[in-house]
This record gives sequence, C-alpha cells and structure tokens, in this order.
Amino acid sequence: MSTEIKSPTFPESVADGTIANWVKKEGDQVKQDEVIAEIETDKVVLEVVAPFDGKISKVLKPAGETVLSAELIAEFEKGSISEELEATKVEPLEETEEIEEVAVTEEAKEEVEIENQNEHSSDRNGPAVKKLLKEHDLNPNDIASSGKGGRVTKADVINHLDQPSKEIVQQEIEQHSANQAQANSSERIEERVPMSRLRSTIANRLLTVKQETAMLTTFNEVDLKRIKDLRAKYGKNFEEEHGVKLGFMGFFVLASVQALKKFPLVNASIDGTDIVYHGYQDVGVAVSTERGLVVPVIRDAGNLKITDVERSILDYSDKARSGKLSISEMQGGTFTISNGGVFGSLLSTPILNAPQTAILGMHSIQDRPVAIDGEIVIRPMMYLALSYDHRLLDGKDAVSFLIAIKDQLESPEKLLLNL
Amino acid sequence: MYDVIVIGSGPAGYVAAIRASQLGLKTACVEKSFHNDSPQLGGTCLNIGCIPSKALLDSSHRYADALHQFSDHGIKVQNPTIDIPKMMDRKNKIVAQLTGGISSLFKANNVTQILGTATIMGANTVEVTYEGKTETLETLNIVIASGSSPIDIPVAKVNHKNIVDSTGALEFQAVPKTLGIIGAGIIGLELGSVWARLGSKVTILEALDDFLPMADSKISKEVLKEFNKQGLNINLGCKVNAAKSNKKNVTVNYENNGSEFELNFEKLIVAVGRKPNTENLFSKSSGLSVDERGFIPVNNFCETKVKNIWAIGDVVRGPMLAHKASEEGIMVVERIAGNQVEMEYAHVPSVIYTHPEVAWVGQNEKDLSDAGLEFKTGSFPFAASGRALATGESTGFVKVIADKKTDTILGVHAFGPSAADIVQQGVVAMEFKASAEDLGLTIFSHPTVSEALHEAAMAVNEKAIHIGNIKK
Repeated sequence: MSTEIKSPTFPESVADGTIANWVKKEGDQVKQDEVIAEIETDKVVLEVVAPFDGKISKVLKPAGETVLSAELIAEFEKGSISEELEATKVEPLEETEEIEEVAVTEEAKEEVEIENQNEHSSDRNGPAVKKLLKEHDLNPNDIASSGKGGRVTKADVINHLDQPSKEIVQQEIEQHSANQAQANSSERIEERVPMSRLRSTIANRLLTVKQETAMLTTFNEVDLKRIKDLRAKYGKNFEEEHGVKLGFMGFFVLASVQALKKFPLVNASIDGTDIVYHGYQDVGVAVSTERGLVVPVIRDAGNLKITDVERSILDYSDKARSGKLSISEMQGGTFTISNGGVFGSLLSTPILNAPQTAILGMHSIQDRPVAIDGEIVIRPMMYLALSYDHRLLDGKDAVSFLIAIKDQLESPEKLLLNL
Repeated sequence: MYDVIVIGSGPAGYVAAIRASQLGLKTACVEKSFHNDSPQLGGTCLNIGCIPSKALLDSSHRYADALHQFSDHGIKVQNPTIDIPKMMDRKNKIVAQLTGGISSLFKANNVTQILGTATIMGANTVEVTYEGKTETLETLNIVIASGSSPIDIPVAKVNHKNIVDSTGALEFQAVPKTLGIIGAGIIGLELGSVWARLGSKVTILEALDDFLPMADSKISKEVLKEFNKQGLNINLGCKVNAAKSNKKNVTVNYENNGSEFELNFEKLIVAVGRKPNTENLFSKSSGLSVDERGFIPVNNFCETKVKNIWAIGDVVRGPMLAHKASEEGIMVVERIAGNQVEMEYAHVPSVIYTHPEVAWVGQNEKDLSDAGLEFKTGSFPFAASGRALATGESTGFVKVIADKKTDTILGVHAFGPSAADIVQQGVVAMEFKASAEDLGLTIFSHPTVSEALHEAAMAVNEKAIHIGNIKK
C-alpha cells in the first residue's frame, strides 16, 4: 500500500521551495502527524507531516533540491508501526491514494489544532501541560511525548520550548568550528556555499527596491527622556497589570500610526501608475532571527492600545525566533519600523520594504549633551532615519512626517490626546 | 503440559499465577508450606510478614491510644489491659481468612494448586516432591517466586525460644519485660513498636552508624528522634559480638565506639535482613545459577539467563517488598502472553508501618546531589495541616523533590499520619511523569492529611498557601 507524499500547496506568492532537511530518513518508521521533512521557502519553513503511521519507502527529492507547489517528494508505505492503531481508524484509506495536502500552511493547521486539542490535549494531558500549551500557543501533537500512553509531560513542553534555539545554536557552532578547522589548516581558503532561500530572497528584494524606487533618507533626532521617565515610573505597574514589559517599541509604533493618519500618502503605495491609499495602518516590525531578518506585521495598529502592541511584538519575536511565523503573519504591511539600535547602530539608512513608501529606522539611545533653552543638558538621544520613495513623497511631506513622530515621542501625552 | 508453572505462592507467585490464568495460560502454582495436607498459600507476606505484623501493629496502637491518647480526648478508661492470646487469635484469624481467600481465587481463576517442593530440572521440567513422592511436570514457562527467609547470624543463633526471628516475634504469648532487637531496619522498627507499645522495655542495636540510610536524611533524623521518644531506644554503631541464651534471659555482648557492653533481655529478636530462598531450587542441568549472595540474576524484565525461566520477587535484585514482587509477577506473565508490559523500578515505594508511618518513593536529596542533578524541594509540616491537628497527629512532614528545570517530580517523602497513602499519590503522579505544578493544580479534598502533599508540591515553586514559602 504505497502513497505519494507531496510538497505542500504553496501560497500564490511563493513560487518554489527547497527541501531544507529530511527529518526522517528513507526506511524510517514514522507515526501519523510526525514531521518528516522541512521545506524552506522564501518566507517560512513549511513542515511535511506523515499522513498516517507507516514507513518512508523512497525519498524522491533529497535535501537541497528545489520543489514546486504540490510536487511529489517521496513515496510512503502505510502500515505496520502499530496494527492496533490502524484497526481503530475510522476511515480506511484506499490502496493508493494521493494525499493532496500533507503539510498545511500555518493558518490551515490552526484549524486542525483546534480539532486535535479536543481529541488529545485537553482530555489526556495533565493540568500543568494544558496551562503551558495555552500560554505558549502550542499544539501537543508537535511535541515529542514521553508520558504514559503518549501523553505530553511538563518536561516535554519545557524541552520543546528550549529546542529550536538550541538546534540552531548547535548548527552554528558546528558550522563555525568546521570553518575554523579549515582556516587553521591552510591560510587563504575560500568556501563557496549556496545562499539559503531566505537570504537570496532578501538579496533580490533589496536590489529590486534600490533599482525600482527613488529612495532617499531624511534624518532627525529625538529626546527620549520623557519616555524613559514614563517607563521608569510605570514600567513595573504596567508589567504587573498587563503581563508584558513596557518597551520603547510600543511608543514608536503608536507615534508612527498617529503620523501615518496625518500623512496618508506615507501609508500609501504605488501600483503601476495608480496611488493606492490604505485606510488602515498595518505596521511591520523587523525582527532579526538566526535564519535572517523577518518582518511580521501588526495588523490594524491604528486601533490598538500600547498593551496590544507590546504583546503582539513579544508574541511575534518568540515565534520568529522559534521559526514558527506563518506566511500570513508576514504578508502585507503599509509601513515598516526597523530597529538597528538593538545591535548598537548609531545611524543608518534603512531600505524600503516594497511596495511600501516609507520605513522608519530606530537607532541606539545615547546620553548626549544637547542645548535646551540655552542650557547644555545630558539627554537620552536617538537618531531617527526615514527612508522614503521620492516618487510619491516630496521632501516636505517626508520631513514633516518624521518631525510628527519626533514630536509625539518627545511629548508622549500627545499619543493619548491624538495630537 | 502447562503454559506456566509458578514456584511459590507469595505475593509474587500468586499474583503471577492468577494473571497468567486470566490471560488464558494453563497455570499451576507450586507451594511447599502446608497445613492439613493442603498448600498454605500466601508466602511470607500473608503468613508471617506484612499482614500479621500489621494486625499486631494495629492492636498495639489501639492499646497505646487507650493508655495515652484517650484522656486527651476526654475519654476515661480505667486501667486498660491487653489480652495477648486474644490479640494473637485475632491476627491468626485474619491470616487464615486471607490465605483461604487466595485458595478461592485460585479456584475461581482455574489455577492448579500443587503441594510440594519444586526443583527445576530444565527449561521445561519441574519436579515436585511431597512426602517422598516425586512428580515430574512439563511446562513451557517457569516463574520462580520462591521468596526469602530471615538471615541467621552466627553470633545470635535463633533458638525459637528466647532468641527469635521476625516470625517468632509475631508469636510471643506474653509481653516480654525486656526486649532486645538486633537491626534497626523496617522489620526491627515495626516489631519494636508493637512490643514497646504493649509494655516491653525495648533496646534496638544497629550495626550501621546511619539510621535508615535509604530514606531522605531529614526524614531519618526526625524519625530517629520520634522513635526514641516512643521508647524504641535505638543505638547506632553497635556491633553484636555474642548472644547467649540463659535459662531466664539472653545475654548480649556488643561493641560501641570501641567499648564493650553487656545487656540482658528476656527475649531477643534478630532482624538483620532476609536472604533469597534459592537453595536446592534447581538442578545443575537447568542451566540456572545464583550470584554470591544467593540471588538469581535477571534483567529488567525478570528474564533469567535460561530462556523461558523467569524469576521475580525476593529471589531477585531490588527491594524485598510485596508490591514490587506482585508487579514483577504481572509483568512477567503479561510478557509470556506477548504483551509488552514493563515496570518502572524507580517508582517502587517503600513504607515503614510504624506510627507515624514513614514512606517514600523515588530519589532523595542525597541521591540527586550524588548524581549531580539540580533539583528543588518543597516541604509541608503536618503541624500546619488542619486535619492532622484535629486528629492529634501533627508529627512529621511531606517533602516533594522536583527537577529544577522541568519541574518533573523526582521523589516524594513523608513521615506522619497516613504517610504510605500520601506517598502512593506521589507514585501515581510520578508514573505519569507529573510535575510538581501538576500536583499543585490538582484538587485535594479538605480537610485531609493528603493536603500536605498538595501544599508541599506547591511549595516546590514557592506557591504554598498555608505556610510561608522559602525563597530559593
């Protein structure tokens, strides 16, 4: 009884993918829903799961090969891992059957999760596990279980949460030490490795933007004393009340949103010879991960409170670091904020996230002497950069937009008063 | 031809035989002890161990309550007395009822009872001898469950009069005025408790310097203090050099810290441990052998080196405990029937049925430190338990130990009221790899002494309600 395993049906915006890794090898016994392969697309890593208990009889696309949407990648033999399990299956599968969507996009998966949770987690796992699954938005089926009768234990969840970062760190260490070993053995070595899918997408995008837009950057600086004072005074209360830290990012997102509302052209984009005005503010926040830079989008930021913003940023960066961001979470966006400050950048010119019209660059905060009311005082200062598409925005608009952001950050009460 | 022959009808053997039969295997159980020409089933546990000792522990506890506790409750009893023969009679009736019960269970489950001494001749052959007659039985599988006997030491030879083993100590017909016990292990402590409560002046001589070294050290310390208060008079580091039986008493000479001592007791109990019953159990041709201490070597599934011969209970490694033996019995016959049953040896609980009880499961702090593992602990004293106070049983505490990172429960230790039943809840939790938080998030009835486990589990993560949490 052999079955075809196909790559997932990619979203429209994804042309093809690369087999990043065969988690299971040819001949391996696997359980239903176990991840057997990972396919890296230019946006996310998609998981291919076993359609049922059985064996991978033949791998047709080895790691590194490019695959198209719903392309045959392996042959699978349904079977013998547990006869009992099979016997209890409600719907017996036909002799040879094509499984259209062995893996699913994150969105579709969520639906499945809800069903599975009813079946598995809530009835089978202990109270601490249930709590953790909810808190971390995890699917118990994704976690290797060590408990009696396949139950997930708290230790399983904790180890699962630890895992992705560990694996990547390990890979990096291995890679690094391999490079080192080579470097030591001979002096002038060169190494040629193919770009990862994410990296080559980033490369192509950036080049396209440079070539197809009239990009220009304007600078300003902002005094963050008031916000720092606010955080010092209310940060603890805020965290206790809302369970999330009060960071700088929330203020920047809200200030940007206010400014975008004032300058709708900055929130617009060019489509051919048309200007498309967006009646909503979807703000992308660039997050650096081990695989590269990703930009999850905070939807309808114009309607959100600072707590919502902080929470979704935290949520996204957790997901991004564990490689769990879905394509839908990264699509769209009408404006982007990039924070080079976390790495210590003092000043930079960010590149547009096409087809958006502008991008705000945040930088590191430095105590610098500034003259205020004729006095030299030390203030926590940050340079701001706004890169914009000069085709759509005139210098006046761009500069005023950036000043509007600066104003709100220096007088955060304006955020409250929608000024 | 049998599918399974089980040798021995103690808690390992009779459980194995019943389950084997339930699984459709043609099963016989061979027992060499007899009473009126029928096998005396039940082994040490039912006849001369767990059950009769618990009967006496309970009787003596009630007597001690009448003497010392009733007045606290306002109950007045004029000079309560104890009728030892009546107490022994009650114990014997319970034993008879339970052993008879096994015989009924065998009948109900179609287990063939065979009376006689078994010798294993080969992987498929067992000879059974009774009163000079030998019968040869053929079988596909053999399960050895021949049990253990008290160890006899040359310096204190048991004479069944005034120097006795644990069996004899369950048969005294009068309360000895003075009672010496060699060995402060589980058996010595339980028997010492029985006779101390009934009025004996008890002295326990223990060779080791550490008291209850297998228990959590904080528990051992508390237990030692409490038992000395109860009059068990436990002397550690005492090496007995001689025990001489006189007409009216026993003279014991022992060494402590380099000095020699001599004490006279009306009776002396030797409770220094037990040895496996493997003598004359098998012929050379069977291919079986024993290790230097007489145990039959087995793997985790209780398989011996001879295919289709299995050994369970006190004749193999691990603690000599009835519940461990029974579980091995079940595992073995399930595996014979083709089921993949395994046993988690790390989750075998230990209990000392003194008052208060002492019980534990899993690892203690020392085990974990020695293994270099990081852990966190939470304790809750019964002095803070409403139910324990209401009952007047507020000695002791419950301690939960969990993995520092994953919070998985690694051990539960208790000293106090119903400690055995409290620890049992920890056993179930551990079997499901529960975390301390899992126990903390589980509902416990109020007011019960079990709440101490709930609180100790919450204390692991500094979340106990009814006691201040120690910041770690």
